[in-house]
Amino acid sequence: MADRYSFSLTTFSPTGKLVQIEYALNAVNQGVTALGIKATNGIVLATEKKSSSPLIDASSSSKISLITPNIGMVYSGMGPDYRVLVDKARKVTHTNYKRIYNEYPPTRILVQDVARVMQEATQSGGVRPYGVSLLIAGWDDGIEPETKAGEDAEPEAEKLAVKSGKTGGILKGGPSLYQVDPSGSYFPWKATAIGKSATSAKTFLEKRYTEGLELEDAIHIALLTLKETIEGEMNGETVEIGIVGPPEDKLLGYEGVEGAVGPRFRVLSSQEVEDYLTNL
Amino acid sequence: MSSPFSINGGAAVAMVGKDCVAIACDLRLGLQSLTVSNNYPKIFPYGDVYLGLTGLATDISTVSDLLRYKVNMYRLREERAISPQTLANLVSSSLYERRFGPYFVSPVIAGLNHKDGKPFICGFDSIGCIDFAKDFIVSGTASDQLFGMCEGLWEPDLGPDELFETISQALLSAVDRDALSGWGAHVYIIEKDKVTKRLLKGRQD
Amino acid sequence: MEVLLGITGKDFTIICASKAAMRGATILKASDDKTRNLNKHNLMAYSGEAGDTTQFAEYVQANVQLYSMRSGTHLGPDAVANFVRGEVAKALRSRRPYNVNLLLGGVDPTTGKPSLYWCDYLAALAKLPYAAHGYAQYYCLSILDKHHHPDIELDQGLKILRMCTDELKRRLPIDFKGVLVKIITKDGIREHDYVDDKQILPA
Repeated sequence: MADRYSFSLTTFSPTGKLVQIEYALNAVNQGVTALGIKATNGIVLATEKKSSSPLIDASSSSKISLITPNIGMVYSGMGPDYRVLVDKARKVTHTNYKRIYNEYPPTRILVQDVARVMQEATQSGGVRPYGVSLLIAGWDDGIEPETKAGEDAEPEAEKLAVKSGKTGGILKGGPSLYQVDPSGSYFPWKATAIGKSATSAKTFLEKRYTEGLELEDAIHIALLTLKETIEGEMNGETVEIGIVGPPEDKLLGYEGVEGAVGPRFRVLSSQEVEDYLTNL
Repeated sequence: MSSPFSINGGAAVAMVGKDCVAIACDLRLGLQSLTVSNNYPKIFPYGDVYLGLTGLATDISTVSDLLRYKVNMYRLREERAISPQTLANLVSSSLYERRFGPYFVSPVIAGLNHKDGKPFICGFDSIGCIDFAKDFIVSGTASDQLFGMCEGLWEPDLGPDELFETISQALLSAVDRDALSGWGAHVYIIEKDKVTKRLLKGRQD
Repeated sequence: MEVLLGITGKDFTIICASKAAMRGATILKASDDKTRNLNKHNLMAYSGEAGDTTQFAEYVQANVQLYSMRSGTHLGPDAVANFVRGEVAKALRSRRPYNVNLLLGGVDPTTGKPSLYWCDYLAALAKLPYAAHGYAQYYCLSILDKHHHPDIELDQGLKILRMCTDELKRRLPIDFKGVLVKIITKDGIREHDYVDDKQILPA
């Protein structure tokens, strides 16, 4: 009789839950752990790259993706669903923003756009929710959080900030780290983890995280956290790290253009990861 | 004569000064040679950025309303005021969206950059091609006359008061040589923490 | 040769429209009413292409009244004017635009302030102290320029209107069969008994 009332996969259960979303979260909680830590001058995203066979060519697969030059993303859960979301995130970046304003969206706006895509899968017919949680890390231009009035390099902008009396946006720049769940809800974090060992990883991060962390420290902590949870060997092939750091003008591919700023987000090479691991 | 750009008449101009910008428009609304209104302003504020619109009156309303909607949505979504550069790109993409059935307007933007306070002005054609200028932007049925006046009166690094005099004289003199614009003017002087709006009476003939 | 005239004063708006319904050079009717009450304090006068005018007026009238029924409040003159402009503008870029020129007279019931909006078939909207459409513009606007003040009383407004209609009778080549005059005040819209049968001698 119960199945008589199962009109669709996106119907409330009598207890007020959407069980499909819970199942999607279960998929996430079976996924490989991924984590993110926000530092004062950047953000680190890290995850384990598990391969089922030694024959897999690990160097040509990647779980951390660039969405805009200043925003990167990692996941825990179902790989194929993630790929679809990366495609959609990159697309909305342009259709909803760059092609309108000729600039890339701030992190929060992108997070909201991706969250909408995921929410719609919980309310539409004929679809299932995405079986992934995301960590989205990005850097926004504007006044960085620790800048105080009349103290730093941007007194002009600070005065304007007081004048307009607005919060966030252009006036609130710097790093941000968000988690997006299959339900479409999202949370801003200083540091967090998703996936199989999320709980223990978060406990570890709670102990290790301090205010005023620098990016290099954050990468160190990220690797220590990963070490606690990782199942296999830790090396440049099995650990993937993405960072949002200072602009890398080298990555522009050209030089001599005034005002051109390089991307802040990049995925570290296996050699770079290896170097960090040896210093652990 | 029956070009949509010159049915209703009107003129607008923007100028860069030292740490300030100015934007001004005339007040006439006409139907060919007949003046219908002598109080039809063509400058619209979007936060602390200003947009001047000349051309077909119906499209002045349509475009200014459309942008008010888009800028309000932007402000709510992003919790910040729109910057002049971003507004310029928004105007451009909105106009180009109507590439094959354009709004018959010639927009002009003036504002100060939020981050560094640098003056910003630009103009557009009716399908959204942006004209970035370091000195001045003119638009409307008196644009030829405005080019001449601005070329003659404008100089770099004018202070707010000198800039007001310059833009006012440029506009007033230009519209006196155009049958389709005039009947007074609105002038905005935009400074870092102050915007001054002045109403110029101008010739009423 | 259709005449639409509007005059605002201290606490009233006068809307005046010619009574002739014409098709080409033929007068089909001499008691045409080219106005519609949109709500208690808003009156719209229209001229233009025969079918379009009434179609559009009734469409707008129905929608303004629907708004009142749904919301329990009335749209003010500014809201009505911008709504109507929006509808003309929407149609302008459609397959078949409305060929209508409009005057929207109203009084804000809360402030008592009169208002008059001029809107042509291109949906160019202007708020004016006095306005006209068609050839009447050429004859009346100069008279109004000379004699109108924003704070005139109703009887002065009607006097100026008389000067305008006299001039129109004197100079328009086709008889427009007199005018229908309606007055909007804070008490609502009423038709004014406008004596119109006096012979006007040519200049």
